[in-house]
Amino acid sequence: MNQLLEISAVRKSYGPVNVLGGIDLGVAAGSRTAIVGPSGSGKTTLLRIIAGFEVPDAGTVTLGGERLANGPDAVPAHKRGIGFVPQDGALFPHLNVADNVGFGLARSLPGRAERIAELMDMVALDTTMLQRRPHELSGGQQQRVALARALAQRPRLMLLDEPFSALDTGLRAATRKAVAQLLTSAGITTILVTHDQSEALSFADQVAVMRAGQLVQVGTPMALYLRPRDAATASFLGDTIVLPAQVGAGWADCALGRIAVNQAERSGAAQIMLRPEQLQLAEVPVESVDSAACFGEVTDIDFGGPVCVVSVRLLGAASATAPLQVRSPGVHVPPVGATVRVAVAGSAHVFEAA
Amino acid sequence: MRFSLPAIAVAVGALVAPLFALAQSPAGGIVVYNAQHTTLTQAWADGFTKETGIKVTLRNGGDTELGNQIVQEGAASPADVFLTENSPAMVLVDNAKLFAPLDPATLAEVPANFQPAHGRWTGIAARSTVFVYNKSKLTSAQLPKSMLDLAEPSWKGRWAASPSGADFQAVVSALLELKGEAVTAAWLKGMKSNFTAYKGNSTVMKAVNAGEVEGGLIYHYYYFGDQAKTGENSKNVDLHYFRNQDPGAFVSLSGGGVLASSKQPAQAQAFVKWIAGKGGQEVLRTGNAYEYAVGKGEASNTRLVPLADLQAPKVEPSKLNSNKVTELMMQAGLL
Amino acid sequence: MQAVSSGAVIAAPVLPPVNRARPRRAWSFSWVAAAALLVSLFALLPLGFVLWVGWQTGWEVASAMIFRPRVGELLVNTAWLVALVVPLCTVLAIALAWLTERSDLPGARWWSWLAVAPLAVPAFVHSYAWISLTPGLHGLFAGVLVSVLAYFPFMYLPISAALRRLDPAIEDTAASLGLGPWQVFRRVVLPQLRLPVWGGALLVGLHLLAEYGLYVMIRFDTFTTAIVDQFQSSYNGPAANMLAGVLVGCCFALLAVEAGTRGDERYARVGTGAAREAARRALGKWTPLCIALPLVTALLSLGVPLVTLTRWLVSGGAAVWPMRYIGPAIWQTIALALAGALLTTLVALPMAWLSIRAPGRLQRMLEACNYMVGSLPGVVIALALVTVTVRVALPLYQTVVTVLLAYMLMFLPRALVSLRAGIAQAPVELEHAARSLGHSPLRAVWGVTLRLTAPAAAAGVAMVSLGIANELTATLLLAPNGTQTLATAFWALSSEIDYAGAAPYALIMVLLSLPMTWLLYLQSKKTAGR
Repeated sequence: MNQLLEISAVRKSYGPVNVLGGIDLGVAAGSRTAIVGPSGSGKTTLLRIIAGFEVPDAGTVTLGGERLANGPDAVPAHKRGIGFVPQDGALFPHLNVADNVGFGLARSLPGRAERIAELMDMVALDTTMLQRRPHELSGGQQQRVALARALAQRPRLMLLDEPFSALDTGLRAATRKAVAQLLTSAGITTILVTHDQSEALSFADQVAVMRAGQLVQVGTPMALYLRPRDAATASFLGDTIVLPAQVGAGWADCALGRIAVNQAERSGAAQIMLRPEQLQLAEVPVESVDSAACFGEVTDIDFGGPVCVVSVRLLGAASATAPLQVRSPGVHVPPVGATVRVAVAGSAHVFEAA
Repeated sequence: MRFSLPAIAVAVGALVAPLFALAQSPAGGIVVYNAQHTTLTQAWADGFTKETGIKVTLRNGGDTELGNQIVQEGAASPADVFLTENSPAMVLVDNAKLFAPLDPATLAEVPANFQPAHGRWTGIAARSTVFVYNKSKLTSAQLPKSMLDLAEPSWKGRWAASPSGADFQAVVSALLELKGEAVTAAWLKGMKSNFTAYKGNSTVMKAVNAGEVEGGLIYHYYYFGDQAKTGENSKNVDLHYFRNQDPGAFVSLSGGGVLASSKQPAQAQAFVKWIAGKGGQEVLRTGNAYEYAVGKGEASNTRLVPLADLQAPKVEPSKLNSNKVTELMMQAGLL
Repeated sequence: MQAVSSGAVIAAPVLPPVNRARPRRAWSFSWVAAAALLVSLFALLPLGFVLWVGWQTGWEVASAMIFRPRVGELLVNTAWLVALVVPLCTVLAIALAWLTERSDLPGARWWSWLAVAPLAVPAFVHSYAWISLTPGLHGLFAGVLVSVLAYFPFMYLPISAALRRLDPAIEDTAASLGLGPWQVFRRVVLPQLRLPVWGGALLVGLHLLAEYGLYVMIRFDTFTTAIVDQFQSSYNGPAANMLAGVLVGCCFALLAVEAGTRGDERYARVGTGAAREAARRALGKWTPLCIALPLVTALLSLGVPLVTLTRWLVSGGAAVWPMRYIGPAIWQTIALALAGALLTTLVALPMAWLSIRAPGRLQRMLEACNYMVGSLPGVVIALALVTVTVRVALPLYQTVVTVLLAYMLMFLPRALVSLRAGIAQAPVELEHAARSLGHSPLRAVWGVTLRLTAPAAAAGVAMVSLGIANELTATLLLAPNGTQTLATAFWALSSEIDYAGAAPYALIMVLLSLPMTWLLYLQSKKTAGR
């Protein structure tokens, strides 16, 4: 496999605190990887080790065949040729935008001004901004300037440390999409570190979930979302509905009745996971309730515009289960107190045995 | 932190009030503007208070500083008595017509050549100009014959003085009176290129002692004073008296006078009388000031070269002009 | 805020409608402004006085007094002094600050304190210590040496605070852009230190212009020594005031240079994230050499005074401790320092209030007046007050009031700086909240704003006290009869080369200054948020 970046058995501790315990990760050239995890999971430390600002206690970091770090023996950051965009841009306050973008370019470089203009163009910023100072720019503009500045080096690898967290929510999605497209079209391998799971899922080709200094699961966004390894990962990546069930031969018997599972080999008691969007509600008259299918009663509706969260209390044998939170499109929402039939689309995911 | 305004005000008041008390003249005493050495005047004040019970408050400063201050204060000055180290400041105050005539009894205590003729102030002590030199650096053959030699190019970088002090300015005023403005201006010009400036005569002597410079133009009593203590600032030096009525043999008179605006004239007159009389002159003889006594029949300290042997030039003390001296020194770039 | 909101909810139904206190607000506003205006006008007194004397003297005489070789000598001396001392202090301060804040120097906290401690030793005591050690020391070299040792903490404090506050992400990014460590320092760190360096340089420069005792002892002629010499020769003659005029011109030149070259960039952190603490660079084999710098600096700036004082005290024995003179000197120094500091802080309050709550053109002008006057040497201010009191306000002449007024003029800027920082910590919204809870406006100000300002005001009082306790020239010229502070007593004795006798006074001055220097050190650590 053509892995541009290979991280092998990297460990790091600060005194008694073990921040990273044996990380193995590969990043393919030209791809986008997101490292996602809660605060304190060690993801920023890993990023800083890749960038060269920190040195691992053990393990190796290899970029394009070149050994960057082997235990404490490491190439310093300024010799790695890796671009770095920190959390709030970190523009040099004493320089204007043009000098910021051209900071890594030699003064005597021919065509320097053109290169700067080209970079501003790449990040979709107007060249009239070149003489402004960082404090005169908005958060989103600062972020783009920081990106242009890092791109000026034509780095082999680009590292982004929570770059969109300082932006307004409205801007976040649009900026994210624009940046992703820009980096892919430029063919730059990217690693993004974030605590926002939706950001990771939408931005990356490969998602790595970190928890307490370990990489819990690495894979494509869809694979991680639909087939998370354990309940913690599952709930981190999105809302889940976890139910106890008896599985066998590709089917599970649970409070929602008999539903398909994505695994034929397991049998016996297990926990299964459904995503809320997999449950569908259909309003039915009260009389048609029977034990063949799963029925429930709507107890509460949380109106959210396009999508509503409907609380459904299951009827019949499964009434001991906690009420389900079901996502329903705003159109055709069953009213409170109505009887509904709950159907499951797709198959449930079985968690590995604990 | 509870900062209650009344508490703060009380605290400040308690601290500051006594300071105000200090600032007022003490009731029933005299205020002396003193330009003499503090230890000497304190000894005089203590002796006087012991004998008469009159309280004496001193304001210490330099000759010209205090003299000019009195002139500026005018009739509103709180000073009762003015004591100086040299005469020019007395002339300054006298020219502003601020002195009251002294008691004839006081004037009778001091010989006529130690007083101005008009009797508005009197000499109370005297000091001789000397050339202090480092014994290992200069032999007696190499010593200057006259003070005027020091402006010659051969003396470049070899002597020191304290030009900002009233003592030195008094010596220059004597030179001005004896030789005239042209000679003085030329001498000062030569001095500027030849000398090294120090602040204070004691510092000059210390520097000569340390061998930093070969000699210095100061007054005699610093040597004796230091010798009487540890001698560490004078053990390598000796004094050279110019004699021969040379300007460098100038004997400067310390003056004492009573201000016309004094609120306690009788007490003020008594103080000056005491200083010029037996009590004050005794302090000069037996104390550690080592200045010359001027009282009639009063001998000076036995360690000193007798006044009569100094062959000092005759200078009328009321003619010494400190303002002109300042002007000339400024022109020469010394001030 | 939690308490406030719940309180509002509970109290709302019971409280009568809040009065629209419009007119009252307008009055209290202008009352404060009037007070500030008065203070600023008074502060202009010394300046006006210098100009007036120049006017009176007439152009002919004045120009003869100003344009002469001696003044040229003094200008050259002063220019050399400033040109040599300021860059040396800057380099030393930056090196020490980097070592204590950004490297893994062993004992960095101790070295940091030792770099601030020389402030506890008055400048003239530094000089006294050096000439006791090497009596022949004099001239420009001596002046530069002792000035650097005495004044470098003024630059160390702001530079180290700024280094602590720097965003390390900026330096990391610069490294990722291919800059090696030295280049990062030169192109990214140093430019961000520009404001503290400029501010510190101005402070050091003004001190150099105003200092008297230090330069007299090492026989280096500056404007201030020449002015005092003139004063002692001709009291308040025009020559002294002409020199003072030139000196004031030099001060303004410094102020103008600083203001003109400072630029108006904002160097605060751009962005919203919290700054992480910068990693400390490992010194490795350079550690012994790097320790040598703070060690040698401490030995020269602290060791020399301490060793000298000890030597003199030991050789002087018990004879140099006449408590009947020392006791009153201590007590008078403390009384003057506290009274002066309280007066100054109170007087600075209206100006500080205005500058935070109602900034505007008038307020900025008034503030500029205060800062300009605060930059004048003590001798100029004393001269002005002497003339004014002798001619216009004779009852005040030679009283404590005049001395306190001089201190107030000299140290107003220090109090202003502290008070402004304090009032800025008490936003007006808190006052509004207090008023919505039923307090009258005055009580809101007293109970909320002034309470919150109290620590900063206390720090300001401490700083001003420190300045007054060590002040020499103005006290020499203005103190009433019989008043002897520690500084003036020290000066009188050392002028008679009674160095052993002067030593106890020097020691007590240092001991008195230590707590306030410690406070300054803590304050600088706190403003950086650590």
